[in-house]
Amino acid sequence: MAERVGFEPTVRFKTDNALAGRPIRPLWHLSWEDFECTSGLRATTLSPCADVVNPLRTPCFSMIWVRMEQSKVSSSAPSEVPQTRENLHMKKFWKLAAVAATASLLVAACGGSDSSSDTTSAPAEATDVKVAVVYLGTAEDKGWTYQHEQGILQLEKDLGVEVKRIENIADNADSEKTFEQLASEGYDVIFATSFGYGSPMANVAVKYPDVCFQWATGAKFLLTKAGGGAFADFPDLPANLGTYFGAAEEARYLSGMAAGKATKNNKLGYVAAFPIPEVIRGINAFTLGAQSVNPDATVQVTWTKTWFDPTIEKEASESLLDAGVDVLAQHQDTTAAGVAAEAKGAKWVGYNSDVKEAAPAAWLTAPTWNWGPYYSKTSKAVADGTCPTDEYYGSMADGMVTLASFGESVDADTQASITAKGEEIIAGTFAPFTGPISDQDGKEVLAAGEKADLGSLLSMSYFVKGVIGSAKG
Amino acid sequence: MRSPIRIVFEQRNETPKYLSTLVPLISVIAALVAGALFLLATGYSPIDTYTNMLSDGFASSRGITDTLGLSTVLICTGISAAFAFQMNLYNIGGEGQLYLGMIGGAWAGLALGDRLPSFVMIPTVLLLGALAGALWILIPAYVRSRLGTSEIVTTLLLTYVAASLVDHFVYTPGSFFVTKNSAFPQGRLVPDSASLTAFGNTSLYPTFFLVVLVTLTLFWLVKRTEYGYRIQVIADSPRAAHYAGINANRTTLSVMLISGALSGLGGAVLIVGPFGRLDPGITMLGYGYAGIVIAALARNNFSAVIVSGILFAGLRSGGDKLQISTDTPIHIGVMLQGAILLFALGGEAFRRYRIHAVRTERTAQ
Repeated sequence: MAERVGFEPTVRFKTDNALAGRPIRPLWHLSWEDFECTSGLRATTLSPCADVVNPLRTPCFSMIWVRMEQSKVSSSAPSEVPQTRENLHMKKFWKLAAVAATASLLVAACGGSDSSSDTTSAPAEATDVKVAVVYLGTAEDKGWTYQHEQGILQLEKDLGVEVKRIENIADNADSEKTFEQLASEGYDVIFATSFGYGSPMANVAVKYPDVCFQWATGAKFLLTKAGGGAFADFPDLPANLGTYFGAAEEARYLSGMAAGKATKNNKLGYVAAFPIPEVIRGINAFTLGAQSVNPDATVQVTWTKTWFDPTIEKEASESLLDAGVDVLAQHQDTTAAGVAAEAKGAKWVGYNSDVKEAAPAAWLTAPTWNWGPYYSKTSKAVADGTCPTDEYYGSMADGMVTLASFGESVDADTQASITAKGEEIIAGTFAPFTGPISDQDGKEVLAAGEKADLGSLLSMSYFVKGVIGSAKG
Repeated sequence: MRSPIRIVFEQRNETPKYLSTLVPLISVIAALVAGALFLLATGYSPIDTYTNMLSDGFASSRGITDTLGLSTVLICTGISAAFAFQMNLYNIGGEGQLYLGMIGGAWAGLALGDRLPSFVMIPTVLLLGALAGALWILIPAYVRSRLGTSEIVTTLLLTYVAASLVDHFVYTPGSFFVTKNSAFPQGRLVPDSASLTAFGNTSLYPTFFLVVLVTLTLFWLVKRTEYGYRIQVIADSPRAAHYAGINANRTTLSVMLISGALSGLGGAVLIVGPFGRLDPGITMLGYGYAGIVIAALARNNFSAVIVSGILFAGLRSGGDKLQISTDTPIHIGVMLQGAILLFALGGEAFRRYRIHAVRTERTAQ
């Protein structure tokens, strides 16, 4: 969270459907990497950018290609120990980590030349693991993809590898050829950061058993016949496909506490994307958190039916504010809700990343993601010869889910009680979905003291009492 | 006195044959040149980019099958737009009719289940998809033929309704198109008998040849039949058609319905081909809108739709892969497609008008 790179303004052109909502970065806008790479600092021996000759061609021009140039770094750390694969890997890892740590300010943001020459000229020993990541949007959304990008940057720093980013890939059957090409070009591990990539990726995984495929927000059930997929049953699924996601509901609950304290009229609003379990779970956790400090709090939900559309998100936020809510929460990829709340003097709970500066007065806090450790761990495992194929479900305890910093309007008492609750969650003594919980109609879904199991969390399709709106969209 | 140069557009009575070929060709080249300037300005090598794009789109065997596979649906939406253009009708809503084709095709596949053999299932799915597409254009077609309401507006707006319909069917728990008892927004796969994926490990399906056949049939229909002649007469002069006793209303209705059915067929092609299910992700691809560009490039010539469809598919699939083979952002491919449309439409002026530069004597002030 601490390391934020500067690319604040994003210009968005709304033209046709194919381009709708895609941010286009203005050419005149440079980020700090650009200065880093064109400054004299890069001529130091530690810097992998020393021989970048044409600044226009350095991908530093866009933050997307922020990377360490793997071949240069590894050649500055020659190996003397006999080169068994593991030995080599560990040694290189620590050396690279050390190099990266001491020189991070200088090197972390430097770009390489174009990748076609990288792949051919890199010495064999540097190609430990070839990592690719497929994004639904671009890292400039300041939300979902941005947060994954932070994780990928950390992976690059941790392992000293260069990750291939593929952006703006629609998550439907059409993405299959993207995965196919990545696999055929010899990438060892491919991270896919959207729900809809599952089936196309599984189809390719069958054909490339040596490549490790990782599906964010996925569920293997969906690939089986019973779940509407193409594979007969679980044992028939490709053995080189893993999924990863996390218990955002834990941080949602905590952010709900902040909202419950902040509201003056007990009316909270929630700008939500789609009526699917992930979102419904978040709304419920937020509501339960708010009610834990303010039993009269209600949460009014508006569906936008989009993950990423600042215009629609803004309109939905304004309609909620007009309806009288004084705290907005969101399950969206942009900061539009925060901007709307700030304009009306309301409070705001964000999502995905710590973007207090988008609406400093409105900011309370936000549930955020920290993908870096999983990316590093998984890529390292693949380099060591194993592909993690669990359905990984991270949490606050392992750090995949975190709570962002608090805004100024959150008083010390509230901060302390939220922090204390967060520690209980991390220690495993408290779970957000602990009975008694009843649904919107007052029907009891969890008896007192009972904890919801993972299966029921992952398929949650009801709203808890206090939510205003329909869980069917 | 100075004599400023003035550009004069003089309408042509007849477009010379060579211009019909030359103008689209030069449009594409001009678009590539404009794209090259953009690439240079952003620090990428145009030669590398275009070489990679070409080789990713057309040169490898996978490149070719990917391109032809993608062109299947693009040719469908292309002939859909081009067929309506024949009568100066602008079906801008091919995108929406494509969604409906997907809904119709998926419905047919799921409703019939695994009971029927492939040779019955696949034509049924395709036919239902086409029917659903035709149904979606029925209202715009009717009000256009009866009341003269602009089909541009009605077909375009219905596209947004169609997109909401797709979302509704997939995101509603318990909907017919998703798995029972699953709260996940994932459409059910149609049964194997309604799927062509069994035809080998490629993205090129036999539907490609079917679509080419349909295109050639339409070509014949427009050029060689009385129906086609009626279309031409109405397009050239509605009044002359009226005096000749041609029922323009009925012809308008039928042309638009066929146009809608063709886009619908494109949606159904995706069901028996790569998608296999109703997938809300279709709304991110813009295949229907691409059809308008393809038709604009191939103006008045059906066989050219096949060529421009394949060219466009290659640009697109090569553009998608550019990100992997080089570090060029995907926006480049999208931008090139936009540039081609712009230049193709701009090129129309040269086809329709004779353009002179004349010196005019300025009158004394």
